[in-house]
Amino acid sequence: MSRDRFLDSPTIWVLLIGAAALFLLLLVGYPIAYNLVMSVQEVTLGNLPSFSRPWVGLQNYRQLLADPLFLLVAKNTLIFTVANVAVQFVLGLGLALYFQLSFPASSFLRGLVLVGWMLPPLVIGAVWKWLLGSDSGFVNYALQGLGLISGKIYWLADPLLSLVAVTIANIWFGVPFNMILLAAGLAGIPTDIYEAAALDGAGPVRRFIWITLPLLRPTIYALLSLTTVYTMRAFDLIYTMTHGGPLDSSNIFPVWSYRMSFELFDFGGGAAIATAMFALVLVVALAYVRSVNAERPM
Amino acid sequence: MSRPGSAGDGVRRALAPLRPWLLTAGGVVIAAVYLFPVYWMVISSLKANPELFAATPTLYPHAPTLAAFRWIFARENVGLYLQNSAIISFSVTALTLVLATGAAYALARIRTFWTAAMVVAIMAVQVLPPPLLVTPMFVIFRQIGLVNTQFAVILATTTKVLPFAIIMLRTSFAQIPVELEEAARVDGCPRFVAFFHITLPLARTGYIVVSSLVFLLAYGEFVYPLSLMNHKDLQPGPVGLYSFIGADFADWPDALAFATVFVAPVIVLYMFLQRRIVSGLTAGALK
Repeated sequence: MSRDRFLDSPTIWVLLIGAAALFLLLLVGYPIAYNLVMSVQEVTLGNLPSFSRPWVGLQNYRQLLADPLFLLVAKNTLIFTVANVAVQFVLGLGLALYFQLSFPASSFLRGLVLVGWMLPPLVIGAVWKWLLGSDSGFVNYALQGLGLISGKIYWLADPLLSLVAVTIANIWFGVPFNMILLAAGLAGIPTDIYEAAALDGAGPVRRFIWITLPLLRPTIYALLSLTTVYTMRAFDLIYTMTHGGPLDSSNIFPVWSYRMSFELFDFGGGAAIATAMFALVLVVALAYVRSVNAERPM
Repeated sequence: MSRPGSAGDGVRRALAPLRPWLLTAGGVVIAAVYLFPVYWMVISSLKANPELFAATPTLYPHAPTLAAFRWIFARENVGLYLQNSAIISFSVTALTLVLATGAAYALARIRTFWTAAMVVAIMAVQVLPPPLLVTPMFVIFRQIGLVNTQFAVILATTTKVLPFAIIMLRTSFAQIPVELEEAARVDGCPRFVAFFHITLPLARTGYIVVSSLVFLLAYGEFVYPLSLMNHKDLQPGPVGLYSFIGADFADWPDALAFATVFVAPVIVLYMFLQRRIVSGLTAGALK
């Protein structure tokens, strides 16, 4: 076969896709399968290098459900995820609508806000840990200056507040992403629809409810599912700011899984949590893919 | 008695020419409030010890000093962290672009049930969180003796960015009319020559956006280096930063100076590419 015919044959397409597919299969597919296997084994530091480990059936899962931490972590994860998704969406939508108004430098200023999403998560964790410090943190100083609080607030050390603290930081991180995707959705709505509605006497509020929101629906679905799975990545922020503490008050499932594996060296337990989370993430991911494909058929 | 609203109408009419500028002022306030944490980090890093921890913080450094910056480079070996970050992030970007180019091009040009299914699978892989993947990855890398190498971190981080790169580059290629390549091939140009001379240059903007976003994501990656390596000399910036602030005790002067140094390249890169990144991000995530 001549070189040219080889390059035009179907083989080349298979090779082109195959390289990336093989890479992902070996380094994502295999770990996920392996994780499932580990979740029904007893995996300790001692038997880590070997392949033959004691099979324990569903014991890892049973232990997790019986763990007194389970309910607390589940509650934290739920609160953290719902609060993040809801507040990021509302603030992101507000900012997207504001910067969509025509005024000088609107896209430049919107771009400035997007910087937050580009920063390394560890830096964001560091900055917010510094801002929320109880003694010399700016947030306490500002709240005292405004007369809203009298004493110090121990944002990161108080078990009642640590989850609030990491939620605030993660909202700060996620708002620009919400803003920019909603801005793209808004830009895709034809302006003549608004003009026609205005001629028919629809005010701004009614236009928003009856035109903007329905036409934005595919974007909103995609965004809500994406933000849900991205809050699972809040690990970096939480690990930096509170390490899941104090007393596990800001512990969520990914942090719990990680600490089980890398601090308690109970890799089977860590794998069991990860398996359950993978299932959850994949369900949400499929919702995301469906909403994207509904918007733009392939 | 005047008609209700007439006074308001008058004010509104008088303000009408000012409206865009009032909105701009509002936008400036929003951006300033949002970016305040970044400002606070930078000016805090320029403060010396008593001022840094003052009960009444100063809104700008009254006695700015670079002492913390000099200290972290001289004594904390921050240069090595940055060098490791550069090695890892550039390697991840290169490996990702090589693997993504072929797959993205093929997935853009061939439309069958199987390629559509692959795109769906890749989109699902894109959202898998590293803190969950790292447990099996650590065990696997440990079994094949790759733990404690930057190579392991490069491979692991590439899994995080490759799906995203494929999806975004596929969008770029799909926008380039296949007729351009076919015209070249009618003139006797082999497909891969047509790809390098026609398609690739036309996808330039997509490549700029994808490579900078991939670089930024790799640069910020924390979980993989933290878990897959324990030699301090191999660690990139995020793990170095964590060593300053992780525990109950935080070394704030050094942490803030290092955070500022570490974030500087990100902000410079973003400022140069802002407009392209914004348009690329919106195209890639939803198409």
